[in-house]
Amino acid sequence: MSVFLASESDPIGHIVDKGILGFKLFDQPVMLSMITLIGCAIVLFFLMRKAAKSIATGPVAMGNRRFIPIGSFAALVEVVVVYLRNEMLIPVMGERLTKRYLSFLLSLFFFILALNIVGLIPFVDIQDAIYGLMGKKFDIAEHETSAIFGGAATASISVTGGLALVSFIVIQFQGFRELGVKGWLEHLCGGHELVHGSIFLWLVVPIIFVVEFFGLFVKPAALAIRLFANMVAGHTLLITLTMFGAMAIKAGLGIFAVGGITIVSGIGAILITFLEVFVAVLQSFIFMFLTAVFISLMAHEEEEGHSAHGTDEGHDASVTTAAH
Amino acid sequence: MLIASTDPLAFNLLPFITTIVVFSVVAIALGVFVWPKILKGLDDRNAKILHEIESAEAARAVAAAKQKEFEQKLAEALEQAAQMIREAKSEAVRMGDEIRAKSEADLAERARRAGEEIENARRAAIAELESHAATLAVSIAGRILKREINPADQKRMIEESMAGMSTMSGSSKRN
Repeated sequence: MSVFLASESDPIGHIVDKGILGFKLFDQPVMLSMITLIGCAIVLFFLMRKAAKSIATGPVAMGNRRFIPIGSFAALVEVVVVYLRNEMLIPVMGERLTKRYLSFLLSLFFFILALNIVGLIPFVDIQDAIYGLMGKKFDIAEHETSAIFGGAATASISVTGGLALVSFIVIQFQGFRELGVKGWLEHLCGGHELVHGSIFLWLVVPIIFVVEFFGLFVKPAALAIRLFANMVAGHTLLITLTMFGAMAIKAGLGIFAVGGITIVSGIGAILITFLEVFVAVLQSFIFMFLTAVFISLMAHEEEEGHSAHGTDEGHDASVTTAAH
Repeated sequence: MLIASTDPLAFNLLPFITTIVVFSVVAIALGVFVWPKILKGLDDRNAKILHEIESAEAARAVAAAKQKEFEQKLAEALEQAAQMIREAKSEAVRMGDEIRAKSEADLAERARRAGEEIENARRAAIAELESHAATLAVSIAGRILKREINPADQKRMIEESMAGMSTMSGSSKRN
């Protein structure tokens, strides 16, 4: 319990990514988020594979029942996939781009969702509590943890940055593939009409180029910071609420005061947990959706109708996130 | 910054690279083993539902055509039945008229024959009466004359009387 209580006065210290005690790779500490990433990836893969088997069309011998998914988890996955594809991605990206990038975008959504949901389960605290009950004591530094799994991986800028870099690569890949180098440079300069237009329009090209060039990096950076900030904020609030009881004990308050504070903060923590589940889903969606919007912006002009629509929604989504 | 830190904004290269590698691996694995199956299942189901809807619409169109055909046939059958009834009524009327005409003709023929028979009977009765009257007259005349009349005389007298009565009856008829 000493480890658990050690972070009482520092909620951020509880959330921040820590090195696993005794594990090193290339002389660097193996971070808790790395194991969580790998664990989530494995669990996600097997869960989704099971769902895929349930959703896939069965043998002909099953008759019409071969078209019906088996199990509630498979049905849930199916609903999410159908909604994202038909209601979100196709209206924004069009049929062709959706078909090309659907696999990547769905993987992005479900992977971030898995990390966000795992971050809500207090695996680190559970392990600390087990060690405490077993009487094990570790001599650990502030930036280390005795836990080997858990924590909010998406509350680490390194993790969200990695995901944003993957999105950046895919967005630029789409740009070069679809527009070519010349078209990509024209896109940075404001588009074909501006570059091949009146000579006076060239006056604004340098400004647009600077804005668009920085935009290349700002967009994925915004994705990373948005996800990271939302996760850190939510978890900080949650941890702070759960720590009120322990802080009351430390402050030497009476049993009724401690009990009252614990009950009220506990109810608050439960309510915030529900909110955090919603935020976990929302942030996964926003990360995936904005990536789709940025990909569609790199499409040919005939598909920009979809892109423009998507940009507005993306803006709305950004506003929602900023509000959160 | 490559070491672990308590600063939440601290960037660590190892988790950064791990994220890229792990996500790339999981995206490829899901892209190969999961999403194609799920999307094919969804597309199969969509195709099945679409096919069922199209089949149902085709069956409905066939049923509507059949119903229309049936209604048309029913209308034709009703018209045919009405026509048959009309024809049967007409035939019954015709046959009734024919039977009545035949009966009337038969009755008239019978009446005619009865008239002839009556006429014949009347004539026979008159002839017989005339014969008896002549015989009686001869007998009376013989008694008056007090003599025997032989058969030859008797026959001659009868014939004379008959001729006289015939003349008388002819004149009385004319009167």
